[in-house]
Amino acid sequence: MAALFPPWANTVVRATLVAAGCTLVGVPVALMAWVRTPNATRRYQPVAQPIAFDHRIHVTGQRIDCRYCHFSVERAASAGIPPSTTCVACHSDTWMSSKELALVRSSVATGQPIRWNRVNALPDFVYFNHAIHVAKGVGCETCHGRVDRMAAVYQAAPLTMSWCVDCHRDPASHLRPLSEITTMGWTPPVPQRALGEELVRENNVRSLTNCTTCHR
Amino acid sequence: MPHEDDLTRRSFLKALGASIALAGLDGCTRIPAEKILPFVTQPPELTPGVAVHYATSMVLDGYATGLVVEAHEGRPTKIEGNPDHPASLGASGILEQASLLQLYDPHRAKRVRSGRAPSTWQAFATAMSPAALRQRVGARGTGLALLLEPTSSPLIASALASLQTLYPDMSVYYYAPLLSDASSTALTADGLIPQYDIGAADVILSVGSDFLAAGPFHLRYARQFSDRRRTPLTGMNRLYVAETGFSVTGATADHRLRCRPAEIEALLEALLEKLAAASANPPLIPGKSGTLFSSSPWLTAVASDLRAHGGNSLVIAGDRLAPRVHALVAACNEALGSTGRTVWYTRSPLLGADRANTNMSALADALRGGGVDTLVSIGGNPSYATPASLGFAAMLKRVPNSAFIGLYENETARDTRWFVPAAHYLESWGDARAYDGTYSIVQPLVQPLFGGKSAVEVLSALAGLPSADPLAVLKESSRSSGVARDEESWSAALRRGFVPASPLVRVSAGPRPDLLRSPASTSAAAGSIDVVFDRDLRVHDGSFANNGWLQELPDPVTKLTWDNAALVSPETARRLAVTNGDVLLLRRDGRTLRIPALIVPGIASDAAIVHFGYGRTGAEEVAKNVGVDAYQLWPTLGAFTVSGVSVERAGGADHHDFAITQSHWTMEGRDQARSETLDTYRNEQRGIAPQGPPSSRRQLTIYDPPQRLESPHQWAMTIDLGTCIGCSACVVACQSENNIPVVGRDDVAKSREMHWLRIDRYLEGPAEDPRVVTQPMLCQHCENAPCEYVCPVEATEHSPDGLNEMIYNRCVGTRFCSNNCPYKVRRFNWFDYNAHLSETEQMAKNPDVTVRERGVMEKCTFCVQRIREAEIGAATAGRPLRGDEIKTACQQACPTNAIVFGSLTERDSDMMRRREESRLYGVLNELGTEPRVRYLARIRNPNPQLEDGR
Repeated sequence: MAALFPPWANTVVRATLVAAGCTLVGVPVALMAWVRTPNATRRYQPVAQPIAFDHRIHVTGQRIDCRYCHFSVERAASAGIPPSTTCVACHSDTWMSSKELALVRSSVATGQPIRWNRVNALPDFVYFNHAIHVAKGVGCETCHGRVDRMAAVYQAAPLTMSWCVDCHRDPASHLRPLSEITTMGWTPPVPQRALGEELVRENNVRSLTNCTTCHR
Repeated sequence: MPHEDDLTRRSFLKALGASIALAGLDGCTRIPAEKILPFVTQPPELTPGVAVHYATSMVLDGYATGLVVEAHEGRPTKIEGNPDHPASLGASGILEQASLLQLYDPHRAKRVRSGRAPSTWQAFATAMSPAALRQRVGARGTGLALLLEPTSSPLIASALASLQTLYPDMSVYYYAPLLSDASSTALTADGLIPQYDIGAADVILSVGSDFLAAGPFHLRYARQFSDRRRTPLTGMNRLYVAETGFSVTGATADHRLRCRPAEIEALLEALLEKLAAASANPPLIPGKSGTLFSSSPWLTAVASDLRAHGGNSLVIAGDRLAPRVHALVAACNEALGSTGRTVWYTRSPLLGADRANTNMSALADALRGGGVDTLVSIGGNPSYATPASLGFAAMLKRVPNSAFIGLYENETARDTRWFVPAAHYLESWGDARAYDGTYSIVQPLVQPLFGGKSAVEVLSALAGLPSADPLAVLKESSRSSGVARDEESWSAALRRGFVPASPLVRVSAGPRPDLLRSPASTSAAAGSIDVVFDRDLRVHDGSFANNGWLQELPDPVTKLTWDNAALVSPETARRLAVTNGDVLLLRRDGRTLRIPALIVPGIASDAAIVHFGYGRTGAEEVAKNVGVDAYQLWPTLGAFTVSGVSVERAGGADHHDFAITQSHWTMEGRDQARSETLDTYRNEQRGIAPQGPPSSRRQLTIYDPPQRLESPHQWAMTIDLGTCIGCSACVVACQSENNIPVVGRDDVAKSREMHWLRIDRYLEGPAEDPRVVTQPMLCQHCENAPCEYVCPVEATEHSPDGLNEMIYNRCVGTRFCSNNCPYKVRRFNWFDYNAHLSETEQMAKNPDVTVRERGVMEKCTFCVQRIREAEIGAATAGRPLRGDEIKTACQQACPTNAIVFGSLTERDSDMMRRREESRLYGVLNELGTEPRVRYLARIRNPNPQLEDGR
């Protein structure tokens, strides 16, 4: 009886099996790699805002402390987005008639809030608290990057769970003195490891990695 | 033979393939772009993300209970008791807790209506203004009648007074179906109410009174009662209960006697004869009364126990019993010397309480007479909640000009010409008095969500006053009535929620002698069945019927949800040849009520208990088709006990399936809910558990020894079954705090209810006349948690501070954990119960707790959001955290302080001190689970003279 399949069919079968195996392993691996890319985590993508607020001018130029606008960072979960009147507090003297500030003027006049676009978003099942991180010596820059150099703010950190947990496992390598929380471009005067361990002791920093630290 | 809609193997595989392919796509969703909207001007008291608390009061049947309401970004999210308020003492009841959901109820009325057409508030105000109304009701307001819910509000009183100057002949009526004036008519002076000091009473006899779970002061009474039971060895009180139904108070009693309503009167007659035997002037006609019980050993023991404690004993009568019962009870208290010590009388703070012409029957007479041209009904639901034989709905329809102001477009709204949505108490300024007269402020937390109007706004419109700032009106009223004379005392009162030291003065009064000497007001016809119409703990008189939290809350005794039933004893059920769910026909005066029977051990024989508040036909969607309307059978106002009802089983296959959460009544020979008598406890100081304290009998176990946990706090909970009364306030508090969904009747019937905390109810002793143990059952946070070993994805884990954590975003829904949990406290989201919530219902959710999706397991977290918030707060402030700073939601609501939470590392905390008692045990600890929740066995204090312990 003649063979049903020619000899090269064996090669086809082997190649197909190998390809299937590669796909089965490769597709998940590729997907897992992709979700970690800046493109998937939306890292480094400047977000357009209704007002072209430039942090460079306000932080570097005017030397305004982060906490002047992000007023609740030391006492609440959210750092706080400044109310329209905070803008007016300074701008009543300067640039008030600028067209850049048109939205602020109309907001104060009509009582309607300015609709900013969120830059750093966490899933709803993650409960992040700014106050405790600031109190334990995590600087603004550590997560938000060099905001003083951003024309339009972008997300500087990947905000993946592994990124969070890296620091929670080893806080010493990321802490800074409480006096330097809002400093941009801070470099440790002594090796970070030694300083960090000192700060862990001084501020009673705990390495919390259990689930309900963030998920409730 | 296969059914046509059976899935073939081929189509099943197709569906399987498609769902796998589509499930993969599900992971590709990205976090949606979000907006951030800051304030234009930051209010100084508000920080986004930080909850604020305001003191307010909820008014029920005219009396205020002080509350503290938590608000997130301006929306109320949780209701707690006000620790300083006399009616709350920090606790809250199920209705207070659930009133939050009522605020956000999407079925609340949203529009003003005139006839069938939509209208406006301005149109209503114009039509009801004096200019327009005088044409109709005459210059003196002869044709004008107002029907209000009972109220103690000085603000409403002054609004009524100014309206009365405008319309001197106007008549005002007050109605709440469950409020009875029997106790006040039984006394020698009118308009009095009894006040109790439960804490001062060593021996209490409750006659049909559910003072621990119902009534305006029940939270206070429950706290006072439990304070005398917390340390059983020092000054434990004793509670006797004689009742027809099975109340929460009855379930707590040391001795309970089942009586038909007529027997209750005979029992009290016999008791009074025994107590007043020494008196020269017997209050009753000797030899004519009390014969039924004169030789009863139960009564003899109770009488001598009461007499032995003299003025430190107390007899309490149920609100809705006959006036003569109240007179007998007052006479007993007088004979005991308790009047003035454990019980005293004050004027009722309710408006019109001292005048008989302000009640519903007076209004019915006026309506029948036809003299009423304009009837304005504010609140309540009189068309529904009146006896059908009164025909109120038909009379209301005939009133030429009628208006109803209500939260819902209910049955009454259908019968009136005008309808105006009412404001919820969290939406409007107001005031009221607590049961002891304490002036309490009702402070709103939100603007009216649906444009509702408060009673005062409606009364002002009637008086033709321009709409004023309600806060200014309230301040002016409180200034003129002298409760807060200046701005400073007003803001102090507002912050506190009430004005302390404003209680009512004592009035001396006694039972009316003519009532005592009159013949018995009830009779026990042998063979017939008495029907007792009772308040439902959950839906009240029906006004809370549209509340999913309450409908799904199991009744404390029957564990029935989403239903009412005719509760009958097993003997009566046998006599009627019915089983659970068989439909009974209750007939009286040509009216028939078809209601399914539910057999409850411990209910008096030849009696049927029927709860009001079901069978609603208004616009409330949740309440529709739930239960049967008992008002249809209710013969007369004020008569809550009715004899001469013919009861028979409906023919045919008429059967009703109940949704009951606990169908078994006994512990099946195990001892998860332990109880012991005080004598045994005192004698066996080594511990009451039959096998000794659980820690001493560690068995061989397949588990590894509990890992050593390294954290400054080790969270744990102690629950005292001796003070738990099973009132279920904790269950609703947990539901509110933890965003627990309502699953609906059908899913409860399939045991899919989602409550993280349930109250297990077990019966002990004789089957017909049982004793009860109630046990709050929640995740036990086992140190060797069986659930953790079987989770394939590590979605349930142990935290270093001893919590059994549940991580929803990891859970894939295998339900292995639930199967391996010996306590059955894990709940599975079979459906996306939260997916179709209205916008307002979403506002009721606690933002600190994840809202779970379908396919995820969930369970008690020990309110981990509160723990973490307190930890962060303390760490941010740089101070150490005391474990007992944290209160779980169940603990905070509990009226009896039965639940305490804390850290095992703090030896001096209340939670740890309780753990030193020998009656401490862990449920099913013989399995080696080492639960962090420990229970204190219930201690009963039976009278040694009653040997069988009943």
